Amino acid sequence: MTGPVSITIDGEAVTAPSGASVAAAMLASGRQRFRDDTRGSSRGMFCNMGTCCECMVWISHGTGWTRLRACLVAVAPGMAVLRQEPELA
Amino acid sequence: MRSSAPPSRVPDVLIVGGGLVGCACAFHLARAGVQVLLAEASSLNAGASGQTAGSLHFQIERRFLEDDGNGSGEIDRIVSLNRLAIEEWAGLENALSRDLDITMDGGLMLAENEADLALLQQKSAREAAAGLATRLLDAGEARAMLPGLSPTVRGAAFQPHEGHANPRILADAYADAARQLGATIRTGTRLDALSMTEARQYRATLVGPAGVETLVVPQIFVAAGAWTASIVGRLGLQLPLFPVPLSLNVTDKGGPELPYLVQHVGKRLSLKQSEAGNFLIGGGWASRFAFRADGSIDLDTPPLPVAESVSGNLQAAIDVMPALRHRSLVRSWTGITCISADQLPIAGMLPAAPGLFVAAGGSMFTMGPVIARLLAAQIMGRAEEADPIAPFTPARFAHLNAFAVLP
Amino acid sequence: MTGTTDKIYDLAIVGGGPAGQAAALQVAAAGLSVCVIDEQPLPGGQVLRQPAAAGAGAGWMKAAPYRRLAAQHAAFVAEKRIDWIGGFSVHTASRQAEHFRLSLVGATSRSISARRMLIAAGCYDIPVPLPGWTLPGVMSAGAVQTLLKAQGIVPGERCLLFGTHPLMLVLAEQIVAAGHRPAAVCFAQSQRQMLGRALPHALRAMRTPGPLLAGLGAMARLRRAGVPVHFDASVQRLVPSTDGNGLGAAEVAIAGRTCSIDADLAAMCFGFMPQSDLPRAMRAAVAPAHPAGWRTLNDAQMMTDVPGLYVAGETVGVTGADAAMAEGKIAGAAITHDLGALDAVSHARIASAAIRQRERLNGFADLLAAMADPREHWPEVEADTLLCRCEDVPCTEVDRAILQHVDTAASGGASAAKLRCRAGMGPCQGRGCEHSVMRRMAQARDLPVADIAGFRARFPIRPVPLGSLVDPD
Repeated sequence: MTGPVSITIDGEAVTAPSGASVAAAMLASGRQRFRDDTRGSSRGMFCNMGTCCECMVWISHGTGWTRLRACLVAVAPGMAVLRQEPELA
Repeated sequence: MRSSAPPSRVPDVLIVGGGLVGCACAFHLARAGVQVLLAEASSLNAGASGQTAGSLHFQIERRFLEDDGNGSGEIDRIVSLNRLAIEEWAGLENALSRDLDITMDGGLMLAENEADLALLQQKSAREAAAGLATRLLDAGEARAMLPGLSPTVRGAAFQPHEGHANPRILADAYADAARQLGATIRTGTRLDALSMTEARQYRATLVGPAGVETLVVPQIFVAAGAWTASIVGRLGLQLPLFPVPLSLNVTDKGGPELPYLVQHVGKRLSLKQSEAGNFLIGGGWASRFAFRADGSIDLDTPPLPVAESVSGNLQAAIDVMPALRHRSLVRSWTGITCISADQLPIAGMLPAAPGLFVAAGGSMFTMGPVIARLLAAQIMGRAEEADPIAPFTPARFAHLNAFAVLP
Repeated sequence: MTGTTDKIYDLAIVGGGPAGQAAALQVAAAGLSVCVIDEQPLPGGQVLRQPAAAGAGAGWMKAAPYRRLAAQHAAFVAEKRIDWIGGFSVHTASRQAEHFRLSLVGATSRSISARRMLIAAGCYDIPVPLPGWTLPGVMSAGAVQTLLKAQGIVPGERCLLFGTHPLMLVLAEQIVAAGHRPAAVCFAQSQRQMLGRALPHALRAMRTPGPLLAGLGAMARLRRAGVPVHFDASVQRLVPSTDGNGLGAAEVAIAGRTCSIDADLAAMCFGFMPQSDLPRAMRAAVAPAHPAGWRTLNDAQMMTDVPGLYVAGETVGVTGADAAMAEGKIAGAAITHDLGALDAVSHARIASAAIRQRERLNGFADLLAAMADPREHWPEVEADTLLCRCEDVPCTEVDRAILQHVDTAASGGASAAKLRCRAGMGPCQGRGCEHSVMRRMAQARDLPVADIAGFRARFPIRPVPLGSLVDPD
């Protein structure tokens, strides 16, 4: 695969290089804030190596929403990313 | 090493084991002015009491329905005890003046096929006879209560008081209250030697941070879960208690909201959402014992998880609540509980050893608070005429101790 | 698990970095079957995190410190006999009868069996709590470096590097090379402290002088590029940006005087700790690592006390990528010999060369560890500073759990506090907060940290979507 990939983050279209991680796509598009914590404070990615789990976001790519570490998932065409939990059913 | 002052006088009762039942009994005894010393080999709540998922289940358990051949009489008496347990839990936060994350909004036992539905019917009739209210729901009623249920659910039995509590803080709460009432609690203190004196009292040697101490007490209560059998074994006595390695799974926090305890009449499943929002998924799935070099079971090491148990357990949960497939598993943990030969609790005094009490053998989270209170009454000689725990007396296994030589 | 077939490998390796690669090459060369499992899609480990974008170059790999690693990496990628299982996490692993059984989860789930198992899972930056460290834009140095290596981005205009580890110099240079100018590099220790700690190791470190000279050169080059390098400069608080959603500045005490440095990105660098959860969950014996975490104990063949389970690289203690390569070779040769595919004489020859190489590197590793020692430089936390980032547990709640409920050192350790305040119960399983909970517990009881038992390690090692555990392939 070559060329940029289109995904959505909270419904907004974002393009990222093929092979980029979702975390990198979020950061490169100016999104340092990955989630809000239980105190309502903004939180971001910390380790970028799958260890801290701070970058978990909701990702859907054909098979429903799954909460994954954004630093380990590569962007793919049509992928949707949500920073807050969707309604699950 | 830190030294703690010895108790002001010889305790009236020595409790061995700082889990839920031991700490709760210490509280009830101390409240009545009895001098109590509790010795815990590890830390408080380190065994099954802290490893359980904390269900408060009052409907007849699936395991009793699975094999109905062992005479339903005792099981119906468990239902009677469950009624007392409901009252006990309802009053617990008041009694201990503390928030214990107790939720008693009800519980559903689900059915997914004809056989399940028949079991529910039969169960409900037995519960009604024993005075426990459960309501049978059809599929529509069940889903109206809990919209996240799968279309495969055909019906359910609802019991309005079931729920869950936080097993990580309950024993502490009893222990704190017991200390305030004058009980002495020593952690990191194990029972070394145990024997009976000529005067039919108990000589116990305790080894802990404060050093080695031998004391003679008139009464001793062994509340040591899976270790109970080996402790009374030091007196040459037998109890048919067997360790069981179980596993539990917990997800990350989030939706969908689940206000009820969910169990399954035909599958091993117990499912609930903690106060913090995590789903706790269990229901009696096995883990694998760790073994010592000599081949014996190592009760001091947590059992190893079994991949098939984890996936089987999660599958059972997703089958009845499909949205769970979106959550993440963050921890599988294992623990050891123990079960008696007839699956019913063993609680009371051993006929062969006056003054020696035990309480172990299953459902000891749900029933622990009420059994501990009733056992404290027995220890003080104040048990009611119709003692609700009388059916669970160790006397039913007295034949195993027919050849005991004591003192 | 459904829908999976067990292939029985001679060796399953967890971790595709320098140690795992070295072992895999050794074992594959003898004709044994070997697979390498890694959470990253591509091999290389963190030190050689590969550019993800197709066609992007890895210019940094040509730099002197990476040359030997890059050569091995090229050989690893070219070796067709090694099964690369990238993008998979280990869900559970245990020894069952004759084999290790590993259940893996990635886009699908699968399980494999292996006659021997090697854990070469590397290390991670010590997450060090301080006020404001949970703001977006505050990251580990490893995060900033791997974003640069693999994704080619620096997610901020003004990056502040702070901590105690000289790796900050390497990273700052890489940021400069990428066309950015870091705000500052702040070493918490003074130059005098750093040199004093280094001195006892200096002579032995000169056996491998390359990195030392590189470090001195980096400092000079950074100063020329206009990047301030401060010593005795401890970051005391990270301050939010005006909208509250990111980092705005850092309060830094430089030689006792507090000043503010504007920054929208901060890279924390207090050193590294071994990834220890997999060996611990498999019940292998560990010991406290320097300066934090747990190192898995091994014998001369790199085997743990679990028969057939081997370890190599930072898993046994953080000593750098070159040492990890040597350990991987030692383990690979031992496993090949153990499986009967390498005669005793050849084994001894390969092992002794690798052991000599490993020992040659000890001097520099010790020197670096001493220079970077963070133990007198942990920042002060405040009552509401989160120690556990997953469960949002502030320092004050951890302290309360320690003081109220954890009565004696003999009982419970950090797990007893965890059960009572939820620190360590979130998706990261305590990798982030274990060492700070242990440190506060040690403080409260006036004991050395080494006397505090850690959290009980549990499977899964990484969070796993329930759906992928039950779905057939």
